[in-house]
Amino acid sequence: MNKPENTTSGSVRTVDLVQKGLARRYKAEKRFRRMGLCAISFSLLCLAVLFISIFGSGYSAFQQTVIELDIVLDPSGLNPNNLAGADFNGLVKTALYNMFPEVKDRGEKKKLLSLLSSGAAYKLADFVKAHPDRIGKALSLWVPADDDVDMLMKGHINRNLPETERRLNDQQISWIEALEEQGKIKKKFNTTFFTAGDSREPELAGIWGATCGSFYTLVITLILSFPIGVAAAVYLEEFAPKNRFTDIIEVNINNLAAVPSIVFGLLGLAVFLNFFELPRSSSLVGGLVLTLMTLPTIIIAGRAALKSVPPSIREAALGVGASKTQMVAHHVLPLAMPGMLTGTIIGMARALGETAPLLMIGMVAFIVDIPGGFTDPSTALPVQIFLWADSPERGFMEKTSAAIMVLLVFLVIMNSAAVYLRKKYEKRW
Amino acid sequence: MYQASETINHKVETKMTENPLPGKRKSQLVDRNVRETVGQAKVPNFRMRCENVNVYYQFGEKKAINNVTLDIGKNEVIAMIGPSGCGKSTFIRCLNRMNDTIEGCRVEGTILLDDTDIYDKKIDVVPLRARIGMVFQKPNPFPKSIYDNIAYGPKIHGLVQNRQETDELVEQSLKRAGLWNEVKDRLTQPGTGLSGGQQQRLCIARTIAVNPEVILMDEPCSALDPIATAVIEDLIDELKKEYSIAIVTHSMQQASRVSQRTAFFHMGDLIEIGPTDQIFLSPLHQLTNDYITGRFG
Amino acid sequence: MKKLLLSVLSLVFIAGVGNVGAESRDYISIVGSSTVYPFSTVVAENFGKTTKFKTPKIESTGSGGGHKLFGAGVGVQHPDITNSSRRIQKSEVETAMKNGINEIVEIKIGYDGIVIANSKKAKQFNLTRKDIFLALAANVPNPDGTPTVVPNPYKTWKDVNPELPAMAIEVLGPPPTSGTRDAFVELVMETGGKKFEFIKAMEKADGKQFKSICHTVREDGPYIEAGENDNLIVQKLDANPNALGIFGFSFLDQNADKLQGSVVEGVAPVFEAIADGSYPVSRPLFFYVKKAHVDQIPGIREYLKEFTSEKAWGDEGYLTDKGLIPMPAAERKKYSDIANNLTPLNASDL
Ligand SMILES: Nc1ncnc2c1ncn2[C@@H]1O[C@H](COP(=O)(O)OP(=O)(O)OP(=O)(O)O)[C@@H](O)[C@H]1O
Ligand SMILES: [Mg+2]
Repeated sequence: MNKPENTTSGSVRTVDLVQKGLARRYKAEKRFRRMGLCAISFSLLCLAVLFISIFGSGYSAFQQTVIELDIVLDPSGLNPNNLAGADFNGLVKTALYNMFPEVKDRGEKKKLLSLLSSGAAYKLADFVKAHPDRIGKALSLWVPADDDVDMLMKGHINRNLPETERRLNDQQISWIEALEEQGKIKKKFNTTFFTAGDSREPELAGIWGATCGSFYTLVITLILSFPIGVAAAVYLEEFAPKNRFTDIIEVNINNLAAVPSIVFGLLGLAVFLNFFELPRSSSLVGGLVLTLMTLPTIIIAGRAALKSVPPSIREAALGVGASKTQMVAHHVLPLAMPGMLTGTIIGMARALGETAPLLMIGMVAFIVDIPGGFTDPSTALPVQIFLWADSPERGFMEKTSAAIMVLLVFLVIMNSAAVYLRKKYEKRW
Repeated sequence: MYQASETINHKVETKMTENPLPGKRKSQLVDRNVRETVGQAKVPNFRMRCENVNVYYQFGEKKAINNVTLDIGKNEVIAMIGPSGCGKSTFIRCLNRMNDTIEGCRVEGTILLDDTDIYDKKIDVVPLRARIGMVFQKPNPFPKSIYDNIAYGPKIHGLVQNRQETDELVEQSLKRAGLWNEVKDRLTQPGTGLSGGQQQRLCIARTIAVNPEVILMDEPCSALDPIATAVIEDLIDELKKEYSIAIVTHSMQQASRVSQRTAFFHMGDLIEIGPTDQIFLSPLHQLTNDYITGRFG
Repeated sequence: MKKLLLSVLSLVFIAGVGNVGAESRDYISIVGSSTVYPFSTVVAENFGKTTKFKTPKIESTGSGGGHKLFGAGVGVQHPDITNSSRRIQKSEVETAMKNGINEIVEIKIGYDGIVIANSKKAKQFNLTRKDIFLALAANVPNPDGTPTVVPNPYKTWKDVNPELPAMAIEVLGPPPTSGTRDAFVELVMETGGKKFEFIKAMEKADGKQFKSICHTVREDGPYIEAGENDNLIVQKLDANPNALGIFGFSFLDQNADKLQGSVVEGVAPVFEAIADGSYPVSRPLFFYVKKAHVDQIPGIREYLKEFTSEKAWGDEGYLTDKGLIPMPAAERKKYSDIANNLTPLNASDL
């Protein structure tokens, strides 16, 4: 902002003026940089706190306490042709009672039994079904412990509290200690968590059902919203006449992107469930609803990507005699694709984290069976988190955090994919 | 703003310069305030004819071309000169309806290619632009390989049937644009990776590959060194045997070397048009005279 | 590559959607109360694991939402069972009738206590319903004794009742959308309000005003709506020993090491006290079965059998582990008979 008279007067040279102002300029620059650094560190700090707190309360969910039982597979009760009718529960009970022969009283037996998960019998059943040749032999099997035992083993229950304030009494703790001494209780990697569906027993609950549900839902969302979104963006940006009607459409699309997601749930309820009578709670309907929710995002991102394609490329194409459609298909769209993909992935990531619209269409539900298709009832990852967070059992607290971690991992993967795609295709620019 | 100050400068200049060209009286020159075209705008044997062309930008708010009438003859190179911002690009872009792509741009008047009005509703711009090729002011290769840059136009128009024909056409076009030797080993590399001048020649090669009847060139040599410029000028000379060419240039020497006729634009008006020799040696209009003698612009 | 991916995707899609049209459902669909949800899900899971049927799908929609979905009609797209933390209303039965649901089977499953708890780090509270009413109502009887109401002036528990500690009133509780809130207002606030003669008289004379006095919870700070998530309340109480929280008994049961239930009217919220009815703040829980769906949807009978078996809802059943307060044996017998015979509800009983 030098005044011309300064430069022309000759007494003050430009270089001196520059020197004079230099210190101040650098200071301002430094200040600005420091401010940016502060902002970044603050957000990183928040992120770190979030991650640490989630990880801190969730990592223990990846382990599960198991108890080793010595079971005799008595062939009299086990008909290999009708395993479904066998009393595996009885076998498990007998095995546990045998480990503590001093327990005679019925009430005490019940307390002892409550150390084991109700899933122990299913575990044994699965084992026998897989190895029918072992019938008649003895085997030792690690079966899941009850969630209260699990919590104790992980230190979430204080052994020194007065007995009445614990969910495990002194006797149960002494049994656990006895098991610990014999090495018959240990923590191992919790595969159940990654392979099972929901359960009301924390030790049996897993996220595989919800993951499958999320997968099916997102598949529907992707295969519908991407082509429709891209087509809509291309039409609006490249072909639609600019008139009041398209203005209204544009305003509405921008509006839709900001509409609370629950509204899409209500719409889905009215249209897909009540009108088209598609199956409630299915990932098909979930995907359709999330498609509605994601479409505006994709369209807006797509239009921005199309807008950012330099006009010179369009002119070049038109200049050699390409038709408008050829120009778009051969030149503009490929250049806009990274931006569109980024928008799509971000939209999909948002869809992956959405629960509110799913509530209205019945996907917030207790579903144990792993969904096998688009019309099976299913939940989604965030719904699973929501449901577990609302469960009274202490064991679900760590499960909630662990599920959040899994969801975050998926989100990180998707967002890195967005960054990767952008980097990869931007090179051709 | 810029133009306003320019006008003031002229006034000052005219007061100081009593006799701009030695041997020619000021009274012989058309006064600078006359904005009607001086010289012969029409030729009998025209390829393109523009009549009373007006161009508006920003939905009519800004007028960039003012009532221009001009012919482009067969086998003729017409040069368009004039100060920056006078509307040369705007005008040349009217000739293949490139201005259609600019929002808010409106073209009035008639522009004929042979006998057909190119702004007629029934005219399809796709074949039109195949017939009237264009080299843009800023080099704009496709972000594709050098090969694909050239092959794209012929492919979409069906000018080539197989790979071999395409190869031949690509090679021939690049050779004519004087680029072949530099790029023959890197045809698969992106066209955007070339230097500015190479990109410009790539764009020229891309245009001639489609084999148009009229070629519009907007400062095709602005980024080229003298040797490359000479190649392009030779090319223009050769092309003129079959085609009509309109070339915008800031180099008077280039205009005088390649063109048969020259049109001088000033602030949206076509001030003077005539045979190139006449424009440069004995212009009729005061402004033309000022411009070619380097008094402004 | 792209094309391959696309065709694989579309194949998956077609395969998955192929059976949309099939007008059948092979699993039980249950909706309704979030209070009953923890119990019905356990039953459903056990049912799914021990029978050849699929595990029922259970949505937690709230009691009102559940009745709405349940009463919408007969057919596979409508739920078979709705859980409810209150009895079905006459109007809901009428709606259902209108939509072609003529026979509804009502099963009471047990009781749920609503507790007012605080952190173990603080002293246990000993409250009456009158205290709670005075502490939480938006408008309370004028402290000077005239039979009028004034905006709640009480800041500390001591203001409410000199025997209580001089701690600021700070109560975390459910929002109005929750069934727990409905029950709390009805069982505590109404009874508490009725301790004042003029309010009690109002119930007959001006039901609307009575409701507005007793049902309106103060919004000037001491009552904090903590959302539907009871776990959140538990965590907040643990962190803040000065606060009290209102939630279902099962959450107290699961967090007995951190929280203590306040004594209400001299009775502490322990299992036995809720079961024998001496703890005053408890409510019955129900579920309702659409009789027309039995035998259409596989497994409903068996599900009822599982739910009404002693090993589930009995005194020692697995539902008690989850915090359900069982009914007395005679009542259990009554409802398991209803479940066996599918005796429909008589609308005039409501
Ligand atoms: N897209 C546009 N919108 C609005 N005004 C424009 C647009 N393009 C050009 N103009 C204006 O029209 C006038 C003529 O521009 P044009 O590009 O034709 O100049 P030019 O003669 O080609 O200049 P140069 O020699 O610098 O390329 C200028 O005043 C310019 O600002
Ligand atoms: Mg120009």
